[in-house]
Amino acid sequence: MASTARTDIFTLPRGHEFAPAPLAITPAQVHAYLRAVGDPSDYGDTVPPLALVALALQALQEQFVLPPGTLHSGQEVEHAGVAEAGEELTLRGRIAQRSERQGVVLCSVEYEIARGEETVIRAKSTVVTAGAAS
Amino acid sequence: MNDVAPVTRTISQEQLRAYADASGDHNPIHVDEEYARTTPFGGTIAHGMLVAALIGEMMYAAHDAAWSENGQMRIRFKAPTRPGDTVTASADPPASRDGGRLEYAVRCTDQRGDVLIEGRASVTVGDR
Repeated sequence: MASTARTDIFTLPRGHEFAPAPLAITPAQVHAYLRAVGDPSDYGDTVPPLALVALALQALQEQFVLPPGTLHSGQEVEHAGVAEAGEELTLRGRIAQRSERQGVVLCSVEYEIARGEETVIRAKSTVVTAGAAS
Repeated sequence: MNDVAPVTRTISQEQLRAYADASGDHNPIHVDEEYARTTPFGGTIAHGMLVAALIGEMMYAAHDAAWSENGQMRIRFKAPTRPGDTVTASADPPASRDGGRLEYAVRCTDQRGDVLIEGRASVTVGDR
């Protein structure tokens, strides 16, 4: 059920699996993220967990499209390890939930970032089509 | 005792553009002011994960590497954050310290006290 074509996420069925993808966050990406969010913390050579989640979500979007106006309604993150900037990781994701009510579609994407077989982060992002309250 | 100190920051449109560049999320609701005026929000709103980053910063400041190694967060985005809003991330004192796992109710509120994000965060720390 894996695919590589970019499709509107709200048309994908529950259970759809995205093709595993390599993920490596560079020190420059970490720096840009921390500057953007205004976080002055010193994370050393590691990738802040929410930076990893945000950039993983970006990487997944090589395989789906979020239509303009899509809203983020929920986020779950479970840290199981620490990623270092520049290290090679693997990203796997799937559609965990899809529901539609009164024209508003809700979709949850579950994804896991791993170092080989070792999970670094598990996350779930829930998005809704424009028009729903955020 | 609460070992998590609040973090407060004012969100700007420039910050939304910087976050869009850093995260790759160029959804026009965040960065296209003309488009955003046509939506029910009447203007741009911040990326949810940009605002949620204040919770991550707050938890990391309190628990350092433990947060990165085993932290968990489950949040709901309740209301939009607009450029110019001053957002405060805060946590209640931990409800549980069983087994060294600290469980916090966390939230982000704006300058009016409206809840923008709420949820729970937890972390296992040593020597507690």
